[in-house]
Amino acid sequence: MDRRKFLKNSALASSLFFVPNFVKAFESVAKEQLGYKRLVIVQLAGGNDGLNTIIPHNNDLYYKARPKLAITKGILKLTDDLGFHPSLGPLRSLYDNGELSIINNVGYPNPVRSHFRSMDIWQTASGSEEYLQSGWLGRYLDLHGKKPYNAMEMDEQLSLAMKGEHFNGIATNDYKVLYNSAKDPYFKSVINHYNDAHLSEHNLGYLYQTMIEAKSSAQYIFENTNINSSQETYPQNGFAKQLKNVSQFINSGLDTKVFYTSLSGFDTHANQNNKQTRLLSQYAESISAFVKDLKRNNTFENTLILTFSEFGRRVKQNAANGTDHGSANNVFVIGKDLKKAGFYNDLASLSDLDANGDLKFNIDFRSVYSTILSRWMDVSAEGIIPSEQKLLDFI
Amino acid sequence: MTQQQLQHLYWRAGFGIHPKSNVTLSKHRASVVEALFESSKAFTPLNMDLSYLDGIKPIDLKNFPELAREINQKGVKKILEFNVAWVKRLVNPSELLRERMTLFWANHFVCRERNPLYAEQYNNTLRYFALGDFRDFVKAISKEAAMLRYLNGKQNKKARPNENFARELMELFTLGEGQYSEKDIKECARAFTGYNHDFGGNFVHKENHHDNNSKLFFNHIGNYDGDDIIDIILENKQCAAYISDKIYRYFVNPKPNKKHINAMTEVFFKDYNIENLMRFVFLSDWFYDEVNMGSKIKSPIEYLVGLTNTVPVTFEKEKDLFKIQKILGQTLLDPPNVAGWKGDKAWIDANTIMIRLKLPSVILNNAVIASGKYDEFKKKFMTKHKGRLPFKTTPDWTTFLENFEAVPTEELQDYIIQGAINKGTADYLQTLSKVSKREYCVQLMSLPEYQMC
Repeated sequence: MDRRKFLKNSALASSLFFVPNFVKAFESVAKEQLGYKRLVIVQLAGGNDGLNTIIPHNNDLYYKARPKLAITKGILKLTDDLGFHPSLGPLRSLYDNGELSIINNVGYPNPVRSHFRSMDIWQTASGSEEYLQSGWLGRYLDLHGKKPYNAMEMDEQLSLAMKGEHFNGIATNDYKVLYNSAKDPYFKSVINHYNDAHLSEHNLGYLYQTMIEAKSSAQYIFENTNINSSQETYPQNGFAKQLKNVSQFINSGLDTKVFYTSLSGFDTHANQNNKQTRLLSQYAESISAFVKDLKRNNTFENTLILTFSEFGRRVKQNAANGTDHGSANNVFVIGKDLKKAGFYNDLASLSDLDANGDLKFNIDFRSVYSTILSRWMDVSAEGIIPSEQKLLDFI
Repeated sequence: MTQQQLQHLYWRAGFGIHPKSNVTLSKHRASVVEALFESSKAFTPLNMDLSYLDGIKPIDLKNFPELAREINQKGVKKILEFNVAWVKRLVNPSELLRERMTLFWANHFVCRERNPLYAEQYNNTLRYFALGDFRDFVKAISKEAAMLRYLNGKQNKKARPNENFARELMELFTLGEGQYSEKDIKECARAFTGYNHDFGGNFVHKENHHDNNSKLFFNHIGNYDGDDIIDIILENKQCAAYISDKIYRYFVNPKPNKKHINAMTEVFFKDYNIENLMRFVFLSDWFYDEVNMGSKIKSPIEYLVGLTNTVPVTFEKEKDLFKIQKILGQTLLDPPNVAGWKGDKAWIDANTIMIRLKLPSVILNNAVIASGKYDEFKKKFMTKHKGRLPFKTTPDWTTFLENFEAVPTEELQDYIIQGAINKGTADYLQTLSKVSKREYCVQLMSLPEYQMC
């Protein structure tokens, strides 16, 4: 155990053992002093077109490759070279405040252009020829989590990212329903008779384990969530609802370090413009409301938001005014006190594309993960990210 | 055949079986299996009333935006209607095995279609070929309006090929990931250029959009079209292996067994006849190995249809059949993506397990799993829900009691639960009163074991 961890653990121990119960209110303060950091993941499922998200508005090659698809009007110019898609207006103030870092050209060697495989790669943090059965956040839970609710996904089903080798996060899109169904006394009797420690290796054991964990997690989440903690108005869409739940959990001080949300529909092979415009404005409006909500509750400074998509799209538009599967893409990091806000790096050259006509990556997504793990979550990336990666300087 | 084996077969080739229908079946495996195939020989399409589309031409939709909007709104309702009709068909199938296979293929040739006409046509193509020739099946799928729309086949033109269908054809439908190069995808896409459909959903090959130059695909050179490409793909034994693997995981055991899958591959590669492959599986000794019984986590549809197979139940609002699929994580006709539902453990998480454990009591017994000392819970639950339950249902316990008449209450678990029961739970079941067969049935259905088949 290193010195820092030791101090942390002993400080936590003292607050638990030596402080009388009536000052338990200090516990949350103590947590903040210990750097109780939360990570919120936003997955843009389907492969968001990064080139029409962060637009190289000063680049002829961009307009040439996309005669009908290039955005010409309403670009929010951020630098001489790059600007926001018109729908990303709500993010402008984050950018101006230094609370948004845009990392360009993120990808991995030998990119796979299949949604599912590429999504698995991003979620497991594997290489493109490597097949892993557990996710990077799941492995984080394996090593540093104690309860399923330490990592929560705002959906009906749990993503591979949140599944560890031995430990899973929890997925729920309505924690009240979960709590109500878990309360039946019959389940308590069944659980009391559960006595096979090795069962979890089999499907049936998995069901029992999930049931036991669900029951205790449901109770914890229900009893500790203050539904009035969020006063911000969110837009009316499923993604905003996910973020609103996250803010309630964060602002209630739940012992959850990782939240997973997603917005899907980015697979724009045809008539991309309308679809992407709608999705990006959903994204930006929801994120903006979320950040305001956190700020009002003083929880923004302990929250980091990472947005990614499984791949970008091809530089050239296709015949259907859409784009096909590409490779490298931008990721967004939102938080307070970013070390490098604005653009972390330049956009890769549009004249030097790979054999498929896709952008070349120059930052490995696993570097982004490793940086977040070691500089934000304060844990070593070892055992979580399978290959050693260079750390970046955005936080 | 033993009682257990019979139930196993019927859980995989159908959605379970109740003891009354067991007794009429022969005890010889070959004849039981043959009867399954015999009763699925016919093909009964699943149709809905789409007469509101009669006489409407594409130009009308362009000229009258009001009409287009109305047609769209009707379409949304029709898809819901079709979903419920499909679930009802599964509960009461005219051809059991064919319907079971249709459900399997719907999660293989995955497609999401919001135009009810194309959706219905697609669904019936799955049903028609469900036990037929896989080669013809893939070719038919590649020409379906729904698929041409879903994977952008109709946007795939000589001047600008669209690779979406070509990629998924190989990755998901025939060979599996990593069995082809990016070059193969490009050449494959070229062969499928010009594929399109008309307003009525009929396939149209638009010659002027087709790339008539020669293509180099898997070391074959020729001026191929889509059908040629499918023939070349099927020459590769990997295709038979990939499909066999998928069928094994779905119908036999989610944990693959190489030896058995290899044997299946040999059978399938001979003629790509799906019926022959399934017959081989259901007749194999290993299919009835204990390790395969109760090894599968029920999909939401298997769970829902299986439950109503044991206790027939009518939903006051048909829409509730749709709601249940949604909360359990599988809405028919609405797959998450072209890879479909992952299945097995992915069905179960903290949310869905609790809903699954609670649902039988909600549907069948006013949300009460057991009476007696639990009355207090019932009272509280009903107060909290103001006496209302999420679903209004009428369970048909009379039919249940008739069907299970020959089964003593103490033995009910052998018929309701597939596979072994956790030791502690088995001990606990011993302590239950078992005065009422009906109540014991709900208790058994509220166990983690009931999630397995």
